[in-house]
Amino acid sequence: MTADQPPPADRRTATDLRAPSREPAPSREPAGRARGLSAHGVTLSYGGQPVVRDVSLDIPHGSLTAVIGPNGCGKSTLLKAFARLLKPDSGSVSLHGTDLHSYRSKEAARHLALLPQSPIAPEGITVRGLVSRGRFPHHTLFRQWSPDDESAIAFALERTDLTGIADLQVGELSGGQRQRAWIAMVLAQQTDLLLLDEPTTFLDIAHQYEVLELCAELNREGATVVAVLHDLNQAARFADHLVVMRAGTVHAQGPPGEVLTSELVEEVFGLPCDIVPDPRAGTPMVVPHAKARTALGPPGGGGGRGEPGPGTVRESAEP
Amino acid sequence: MNAGPGGDALPPIRPPATEAAARSRTAPPAGVVAFGSGFALPVRRAAVLTAVGVLLLTVAASFATFTMGRVGIAPADLPAALTGGASGADAFVVERLRGPRLVVALATGAALGLSGALFQSVTRNPLGSPDVIGLAAGAGAGAAAVALLLPGQVPVSLGALGGALAAMALVYVSTGTGFRNPARLVVAGIGVAAMSTALTQYVVYAVERDKAAALTSYVNGSLAAKDWSDATVIWAVLLLAAPLTALIARQLEIGEMGDELAGGLGADPARTKTWAVLLAVALSAGAVTVAGPIAFIALTAPQIAKRLSRGTGPHLFLAALVGALLLVLADLCAQQLPLFDNLPVGIYTMAVGGSYLGYLLTREWRKGIL
Repeated sequence: MTADQPPPADRRTATDLRAPSREPAPSREPAGRARGLSAHGVTLSYGGQPVVRDVSLDIPHGSLTAVIGPNGCGKSTLLKAFARLLKPDSGSVSLHGTDLHSYRSKEAARHLALLPQSPIAPEGITVRGLVSRGRFPHHTLFRQWSPDDESAIAFALERTDLTGIADLQVGELSGGQRQRAWIAMVLAQQTDLLLLDEPTTFLDIAHQYEVLELCAELNREGATVVAVLHDLNQAARFADHLVVMRAGTVHAQGPPGEVLTSELVEEVFGLPCDIVPDPRAGTPMVVPHAKARTALGPPGGGGGRGEPGPGTVRESAEP
Repeated sequence: MNAGPGGDALPPIRPPATEAAARSRTAPPAGVVAFGSGFALPVRRAAVLTAVGVLLLTVAASFATFTMGRVGIAPADLPAALTGGASGADAFVVERLRGPRLVVALATGAALGLSGALFQSVTRNPLGSPDVIGLAAGAGAGAAAVALLLPGQVPVSLGALGGALAAMALVYVSTGTGFRNPARLVVAGIGVAAMSTALTQYVVYAVERDKAAALTSYVNGSLAAKDWSDATVIWAVLLLAAPLTALIARQLEIGEMGDELAGGLGADPARTKTWAVLLAVALSAGAVTVAGPIAFIALTAPQIAKRLSRGTGPHLFLAALVGALLLVLADLCAQQLPLFDNLPVGIYTMAVGGSYLGYLLTREWRKGIL
């Protein structure tokens, strides 16, 4: 699918649209050119069995996309491919219509930023020091400072409400503050695409919502955000586009209100449930059937309380 | 939701163009050393002051190396002696006895400090050092093998180099992933180190007693009887490896935050690690060839550098300076302390470096930092 893509020289006009301060806005944009991130028939593996199989997916530009799915379904792996960390065995990932792997690595990092699951904060680093490392893709070997550094760092600190504690060490922060510091680092990268791998994991519930609200706010301000999330209710409430993965493929995608049905949750997660409107947001909310909690396998029939299914053996073994 | 701004709208995720931003565009702030538009490096004032302090201490230790003891040069005569204006005993001390030994100590210490800093950054482990991955033990085994099989025909130092390289080749092959995976590197290194030590010990028992004594001195690391050819070797290694190390310093710093994050920032952590390990191996192989496996400098110098500078990052430059200072100090002890004549300097580095590291660690434990 990439063979007919335009040469790299053409790429700049398409990709630098969002940096008008540096270059004049291009006068024309090729009609029908895909903006944002797309996967075309992507198969991904870590050298063995494929983890993601033949996935084609467009991330709507300007959306807050949540990727959900059971453990091991390939969510994080797909995110790695979008972040250019994993080269597809077959197929391709394109950014603004050009194969992601034809970008130079720092150039790609000026377009999309990744916050992985467990980044390591260097010992003794301050919040400001950490955030300033987000400027790396804007530097060269001999120019490790750029004129935009200070404003970008100040902006990132302010957006994440960390300006007051910018000189504290990251090790002294609470979990929520620390996660905000990492998000600030990614913001200082000044990309218009943010890829977040389970940004709410290990946070208590208040901090989870704090981080999600920040994501939604950044999205409203123009960033395309792709987040791998575990909590279906949070995904439905905050995302405007839902990608549901199962066993290495995209099972469904679309607006949460259309995608998240009790049938889908049962098919994908093996969890019988009811879907009710979230009393606050009106978005779909998953209410699991109580009995399903003890049956780990996909239940046999109508709502977990009916006919015995594959989970029966397991249940009967319990006292 | 927002469908993304059009081509002429200022993307709101970027900071608004303020007057302050426009001003900072023209001139780098204090703390950034800049030449023209292509060169700008942030430099921490505290780091510069620390480096200068360590350098001054090294100069003082070097001064003491020349002036102390039985054949020490009178301080007043030292400038003349160093510029070649001395004759007789003083000239002999500068040109043969202590001059080459000091010059070798400076470069060997710096090479070991730099090598340790590279290893510790790559393994993200304060115990990472060329000793841990079996390089020093391999060098010892190489030296021992040469002493046993080809006594007097091949210089022991060549045997050490061969042993170090053979050990590293063995480690490289047995990890299955080359030098990229630090955890495997350490496990493979421990295995290779154990085999090498067994070989060394066997040789020490097997060869005649007088040869075993010389070998033991070598296996502990010694700077006795170093000449200018040794100095040339280790300085050449250092001056080749140091600029390459500087080129990967920033990538190493980014890599310390984890491979995925570094990759997301546009760094190349896998390639950086391979380069860092190659340079570290070259540096410590050079050091071990010239002076034998001097223990503990590679382990201690980066740790001391880190605590002196109070900054983040691999502290490559400062670790090299601290390594040089430590080895010169240890060699000063080896020459002047009246314990034994020419006790191998490696024994002092263990004592001095170990005690200082212990002091730093206890101080931090008390403060509850560690």
